[in-house]
Amino acid sequence: MTAPKVKVLQESDDEISLQLEGVDRSYANAVRRFCISEVPSMAIDDIVILENSSVLYDEILAHRLGMVPLRTDLERYVLPERCDCGNPLGCQKCRVLLVLDATAKERPRTVVSGDLVSEDREVCPVNPNIPIVKLAVGQSVKLEAYARLGRGKEHAKWQPATASILTEGKGEGVFVLKVETSGTMPAKEIVARSIEKLEEKLKELQKEVEEKAAQ
Amino acid sequence: MATTTRQLDSWAVLRDILQREGVARQHLNSYNEFIAKGLQSIIDEIGETEIETVSTPYKVKFGRVELGRPRIVEIDGSVSNIFPMEARLRNLSYSSPIYLDMTIEEEGMSREATRQHIGDLPVMVKSDLCQLSKMSKEQLVMSGEDPNDAGGYFIINGSERVIVGLEDLSPNKILVDLEKVGAVATYKARVYSSVVGYRSKMEVTLKQDGSINVKVPSCPIDIPFVIIMRALGFKSDKEIANAVSPKPEIQDLLEVSFDKANEAPTEKDALVYIGNRVAHGMLEEYRIKRALSMLDWGFLPHLGKADDRRYDKAMFLGEAVCKLLELRLGWIEADDKDHYGNKVIKFAGQMLADLFRTSFRNLVRDMKYQLERAGQKRGGNVVGAAIRTGIITDKLNNAIATGNWGRGKVGVTQLLDRTNYLSTLSHLRRIQSPLSRSQPNFEARDLHATHFGRVCPSETPEGVNCGLVKNLALSATISVSVPPAEVEERLWELGAKSIRDIPEKLALEGCKIFMDGRFIGYVDDGERLAKAFRKLRREGQIHPSASVMFYEATNKKGYSRLYISLSAGRVIRPLIVVEGGKPLLTQEMVSKIAANELTWRDIVERGIIEMLDANEEENCLVAMSPEEAGAKHTHLELYPGAMFGIAASIIPYPEHNQSPRNTYESAMAKQSLGFSTPTFPLSTFVRQHLLVNPQSPMVRTKSTELLNIDERPFGTNAVVAVLSFEGYNIEDAIVMNKSSIERGFARSFFYRLYEAESKQYLGGMRDTFEVPSAESNIRGYRGEKFYRLLEADGVIMHEATVSGGDAVIGRTSPPRFMEEYKEFEIKGPYRRDTSVAVRPTETGVVDSVFMTENVEGGKMYKVRVRDMRTPEIGDKFASRHGQKGVVGLVVPQEDMPYTADGVVPDVIINPHAFPSRMTVGQFIESISGKAASLRGRTADGTAFAGETPDEMGRILQEKGFEPTGREVLYDGKTGRKFAVDVFIGVVYYQKLHHMVADKIHARARGQVQMLTKQPTEGRARGGGLRFGEMERDCLIAYGASMVLKDRLLDEADKTEINVCEKCGLIAYYDAKQRKYACKIDGDQAKISTVVVAYAFKLLLQEMMSLNIAPRLRLKDAV
Ligand SMILES: [Zn+2]
Repeated sequence: MTAPKVKVLQESDDEISLQLEGVDRSYANAVRRFCISEVPSMAIDDIVILENSSVLYDEILAHRLGMVPLRTDLERYVLPERCDCGNPLGCQKCRVLLVLDATAKERPRTVVSGDLVSEDREVCPVNPNIPIVKLAVGQSVKLEAYARLGRGKEHAKWQPATASILTEGKGEGVFVLKVETSGTMPAKEIVARSIEKLEEKLKELQKEVEEKAAQ
Repeated sequence: MATTTRQLDSWAVLRDILQREGVARQHLNSYNEFIAKGLQSIIDEIGETEIETVSTPYKVKFGRVELGRPRIVEIDGSVSNIFPMEARLRNLSYSSPIYLDMTIEEEGMSREATRQHIGDLPVMVKSDLCQLSKMSKEQLVMSGEDPNDAGGYFIINGSERVIVGLEDLSPNKILVDLEKVGAVATYKARVYSSVVGYRSKMEVTLKQDGSINVKVPSCPIDIPFVIIMRALGFKSDKEIANAVSPKPEIQDLLEVSFDKANEAPTEKDALVYIGNRVAHGMLEEYRIKRALSMLDWGFLPHLGKADDRRYDKAMFLGEAVCKLLELRLGWIEADDKDHYGNKVIKFAGQMLADLFRTSFRNLVRDMKYQLERAGQKRGGNVVGAAIRTGIITDKLNNAIATGNWGRGKVGVTQLLDRTNYLSTLSHLRRIQSPLSRSQPNFEARDLHATHFGRVCPSETPEGVNCGLVKNLALSATISVSVPPAEVEERLWELGAKSIRDIPEKLALEGCKIFMDGRFIGYVDDGERLAKAFRKLRREGQIHPSASVMFYEATNKKGYSRLYISLSAGRVIRPLIVVEGGKPLLTQEMVSKIAANELTWRDIVERGIIEMLDANEEENCLVAMSPEEAGAKHTHLELYPGAMFGIAASIIPYPEHNQSPRNTYESAMAKQSLGFSTPTFPLSTFVRQHLLVNPQSPMVRTKSTELLNIDERPFGTNAVVAVLSFEGYNIEDAIVMNKSSIERGFARSFFYRLYEAESKQYLGGMRDTFEVPSAESNIRGYRGEKFYRLLEADGVIMHEATVSGGDAVIGRTSPPRFMEEYKEFEIKGPYRRDTSVAVRPTETGVVDSVFMTENVEGGKMYKVRVRDMRTPEIGDKFASRHGQKGVVGLVVPQEDMPYTADGVVPDVIINPHAFPSRMTVGQFIESISGKAASLRGRTADGTAFAGETPDEMGRILQEKGFEPTGREVLYDGKTGRKFAVDVFIGVVYYQKLHHMVADKIHARARGQVQMLTKQPTEGRARGGGLRFGEMERDCLIAYGASMVLKDRLLDEADKTEINVCEKCGLIAYYDAKQRKYACKIDGDQAKISTVVVAYAFKLLLQEMMSLNIAPRLRLKDAV
């Protein structure tokens, strides 16, 4: 087999198309799958509702907030289960607090993702215009939301890629991998992290095999 | 596409009809007519009551009846006007007081006038009596009502009840029939003669021997027809024969009848003859009186009760005999009972009239009794005190609350279906047939040609009610009654001749005229009269609900007949009038209606469209499309797609489906979860579902807009691939994308209501709301942990998470019997715990707590618990084409197949779902849905008029897809292309209310029944799963006898009994001797212990109780 070759067919912040040559289909597909299920990203996971007089129930509000894509910096944050703080409430490295405090005073109001105030400026909604709930006059929503890193296999809100597609390229053993991002991180980074995660897992596997073989 | 544009446009007319009139118009019209006229006419019919006191008898005369505003009388006597919402919340009945003017008359002199409250009448929501009918949409919203609510139902004790339309044979119509039993043919003519609230069936029979007899309900024996004619005052035989017909062929057949009537040659003889049969053994004078009253009151009551109606009755009977003999001669054919022209539908008004009539009679009888007891005391106040309002109020309320109409009529009312908005609307247009569901009644269940445009061909249940329960088509309207006097006047003007004075020639050759079951006269040319009648109606001079049908004799010798119908309850439908091959409805008018500058009523008045009943349609030739309309056509279909009912009209492309599939979908649409009412924050339905993210369908039909489905949807658009998936979607299972579910696909809430009220008991004791405490001697105390969520007032707090067994309302009640504790006064009085707890199998969050007061002044709590349901394996889903299935597997997104664009299906269904079901409509919906999604605008899939698959395929092609809807798909697990292209598109999916969470059940050990000691049955009681006969057979076949014994004995109702080996009977335990003994064998007894099923022991003892001695012959086990 020839040495792996990668060619960038097209790239923007939102999506990337790569031509892969000299890799096995199973490897290429694993990268595709990891873009969906293994690359961590930020999403709101825990909510303390202080007040909710809107028409939406707490659980619906929580669900909607969870689906809001947040900008993710994988250098500064770690998955809670890998964090060394051991604190069930989390620490600076494994969680971010966002606060929502909205009241419709004089006229009905739509609360949008941009109303979320984050303790970390970098971790904020990708798009500030996502509607969360509509408030009638006099209604208000007040809550604390804790965002954390998580993986797509846990819940769809942690999928960094909205589309991750592996198709056949021109010629034998040539594949095209196309990844679109929800905006949590650049598409390029998703692919890079995906390969990183895959390598990590393969290394673990290798270690395991060697240990077992040695016995 | 000329047809498409035309149909698209004339839809505006139909939409105008349904939107202006509302879906429940038939209920409202019927009820409004009852309160405006029916009520008064029933009262007038009774008129007065004589109070027969010893000295001066007097009369109470009834005058005008008036209805007040819907109101409630509180326990303290205060009166407040209420709205439906308050009635629902407080479990009240939404009803109005009925006031009746009465005059006390003594010796022919009016003494005193008084107005009395005689009872309460349940108010139909949105009727003329209901405040909501006068409110604007904004006002409705402000008073907490759904602005789109159709009304047409009642609220009794807080629950919504509908009086379902009842199909009935047309009253006062002579229907002839031939009944063959073996070789014996009997000819019958039947008439259901009806007046408001009363009905009497007359049957005329022509036997094999040629005799003609009449059966009347009040007379036990059939009476020869000639005798009745004589009793009615027809003296000569010629007169009688001519009343039947002057035609010689017919008169020849009357000979036998005259012979049979020889024993009563005169009027008096005839009356005595009848009197002998209705009042046997009485004085002759009395017998004659009874015979006459039978003829006046019980015989053909629709023609009147006065003695001057006897001539009309005789003429009517003559006509019945004439029709019967024409059938015998083969001049006419038997009438078709299933023809929709021979049916009327009774709604709330007619049904309530029946009830009110009897209950008002009871009230008057009771009042008379009370007043007669009062003796000399008289006057307005005494009359008022003698009226027990409960007689009417309770009777009406009970009947509507239970559906029990008396005289064996049950199931007349039903609880309004609030599963989703569509099911509510459909329920309001439902029609029931009174025919027995246990008999085959094949013809009655069949679809009849006259159902077209009146009754939905698809929407009917499967099983016992198939074809008996129907639903009105979108285009169907119910006629209202037309005052007969003015119409009759027109007929005389148009040249009709009265039956009172008929020239011989006309009686021989003329056309008979019937008006609403009255034989009124003759005309020389019936067809001319029918045409003239129609012309007047089109000019707006005759009410549009009036119908005329000309029956032209097929046999030259037979009679032609003209029928005019003015009654309410006929199913009528709009048709465009065609003159000279040209439809009168123009594009311009349609546009004006669409722009709200013209209403459908305007064009009806101008004779451009007509509302026809099934009878009049027999005289018409209706073209399906304007191109088809020729010189012979009289009418044009307004909108063919309106032949469907509410439920079937939401199916896209139904004309491409195998017809039963549309029937299945019509049933399933009513089970799908959606947004049933915007009042749900305040709704107190016992069970209720709410879909969290409902969507309006990508492929719509015309009725999506008409029925406000956009505001009250009942499903979600799903990307559906047709592909087998590792066997997890065989047998109609569906595979679902886990990420779709996590994003909120088909998420729903289930609400359960718990309620408790504080009742007052004899002796002044009450139920109290409190947290039952362990210290205070409470029977049935469940343990502290079950009450942990209750607050100080005894009721649970908002948003508390509850699970099975947790009390939501804490309540204690006084002892059931006061004496109980007196005997053991050690502990003092105890109270019972009557707290309301969450059902054992359910969990949820407390959604809302309502505190209010019921009509008895007791405090009442209603607690609503909600439970979020995300789709899981076993939940039922269905497309709009009768394709139902349960979730078989939930697959992570990365394992799901994907398209080259990265689209991952939400749902994968199996290709085997299609060949045998032939639901091609779903394929087209899928293609249309995909194209609509790509172009960013919904598609139209209305029956016969939707955007065609070709058009939608072209759009797909423009957007770079295959017009067939197929695409390359990649396997998510391998990244490999599938060998074939896969059909994938957008289909509207409904989540049905059968969810595993409500059904999942298993049992290891648990309760047993008291009588049999076998496990209980059913999930609610934690029951066992039946190991039935077939399962037993299976184990026998396998020879697995130990398993068999384990299931049926060891793990069921194993018992030990002691048997006397000598006599074989069951031994008893002698407590003195401390051993088992046998009464029969005494010392000789040899008692052995035997293991049997407890049910077997029970069988032995039951047999013993029947004086049978079952003896067991014991043998040692090998
Ligand atoms: Zn940490």
